[in-house]
Amino acid sequence: MNELMLKISSVSVKYRLIKEKRRTLQEYIIHRLKGKIIYYEDFWALKNINLEVHKGEALGIIGHNGAGKSTLLKVIAGVLKPTEGSVMVIGKIAPLIELGAGFDMELTGKENIYLNASILGLSRKEINGKFDRIVEFSELSDFIHSPLKSYSSGMVARLGFSIATEVDPDILIIDEVLAVGDEQFKKKCEERINGFKAKGITILFVSHGMIEVQRLCDKILWLDHGRSRMSGDPKSVTEEYQKA
Amino acid sequence: MEFRTWHSPRVKKRNNFKFTISVQATGHPYGVKDMVKTLTEAAEIIKYRELLRNLVIRDIKVRYKRSVMGFVWVMLNPLLMMLILYMVFSELFKVSTENYIAYLISGIILWNFFSQGTSTSIVSFTGNSNLIKKIYLPRAIFPLSVVISAMIHFIFSLVPLLIIFIITGTSLSSHIYILPAGVIFVVIFSFGISLIVSTLTVFFHDTKYIYEVLLMAWMWMTPIFYPESIVPQKFSFIFHLNPFYYFLNVFRASLYMDVPSLPEDLFYGFLFSFMALIAGWFFYNRYKDRVVYYL
Repeated sequence: MNELMLKISSVSVKYRLIKEKRRTLQEYIIHRLKGKIIYYEDFWALKNINLEVHKGEALGIIGHNGAGKSTLLKVIAGVLKPTEGSVMVIGKIAPLIELGAGFDMELTGKENIYLNASILGLSRKEINGKFDRIVEFSELSDFIHSPLKSYSSGMVARLGFSIATEVDPDILIIDEVLAVGDEQFKKKCEERINGFKAKGITILFVSHGMIEVQRLCDKILWLDHGRSRMSGDPKSVTEEYQKA
Repeated sequence: MEFRTWHSPRVKKRNNFKFTISVQATGHPYGVKDMVKTLTEAAEIIKYRELLRNLVIRDIKVRYKRSVMGFVWVMLNPLLMMLILYMVFSELFKVSTENYIAYLISGIILWNFFSQGTSTSIVSFTGNSNLIKKIYLPRAIFPLSVVISAMIHFIFSLVPLLIIFIITGTSLSSHIYILPAGVIFVVIFSFGISLIVSTLTVFFHDTKYIYEVLLMAWMWMTPIFYPESIVPQKFSFIFHLNPFYYFLNVFRASLYMDVPSLPEDLFYGFLFSFMALIAGWFFYNRYKDRVVYYL
């Protein structure tokens, strides 16, 4: 077996939903002064999730909306600290940034490459070294000096994919981004993802597209209301999922 | 295979990967140990300095690049503001203030530096929520970048100040070498305040409006437009509690003014700015894990 890259042990995440809606400082202070107690309702977004992913594996995460997929990715990315349990990640994580998240529409493609790659923690020198390859893969060399607001959404997605995949991550998180971009680019992305797996890069893939999931992933975790409903080989899990 | 637990200090040494991120369940205790831990984020900011640079560049570019007048406006804004205030207040304060026009413009640009920096940084977490929710990065970098951009705008606005000095024949003080100290005090102070207000904004959306009112009150309690001497002696303690009073004294002393209590102003300027930084840093670290839940 390959080296362990990611281990999640009995992770639970609790969201605190405030019963009375009170989001202003003014109200908070008044309530505190009056000595009122704040009522919370606990909501477990994830409950007792265990997961192990090894080097070069592609894990697919499926589930209905609100099943906890995004929360799990946040926990893995280190954005959210779990309420219970522990997460161990070895290596550098690069999430594919959603459309618009890490980009500034006023800046040019080139400036956005520098901005985005530095968001992923790269130094200037490293970005300089990767710049040409990013542009080449995105097929946007003609537009690289134009502001991003003149790009189509497919072009922005291409740029995002090129950046995230060129930073040499150890773990790549792909969250529903392949839906944009034309067929040809999608195919290119899939080729690259397969290339990654061969290179030993671990992939976490969240998608509603069962065909893509089956094709790309080695194993699948099915989340249902924050619990792990089923996990195992892609074919049987997706079949069960589609039945449910 | 052998499994290495997250808290083992050997994890980092044994593998040669670039980063090892380990997270464990958090309660809410906050002891000395946790405080020391917050310094790791300070180290991370240094690691992410390229991001800091890019954020500052983005801010400057978006502000100036695609508008020809952008740069001109930065110069004109303090000049016009000064002109208006001069027209309104000059008759009142000219007698009691030596070189009122220099007094006015130096006060305006230093105050703008602070007020614009902190009020822009108020949305640095809420405005970058898309990013903060997806990727781990030292989040304090967002307010820091806003404060640094504000400092750069401030440096640009020293140009109109110098123009005014030349026109009015004001000669620069021999204490000009302390100018960087004054600027650094305001940067540090602004960063501390920014950390507090930007964190609060995540939890309470009306922080912005409350802060704006406070800022307004603060401005009038600071001798920016009026000379210190118009305030009766019994109320002068208000100035001495006001950090900005010391920053202004240091700044004006470094430019042109004779400030009798300069060593004292430097000391209190230093003290207040670092106190704000420490308060802001711990406030931010105390609540930063909860920020994601509210974005």
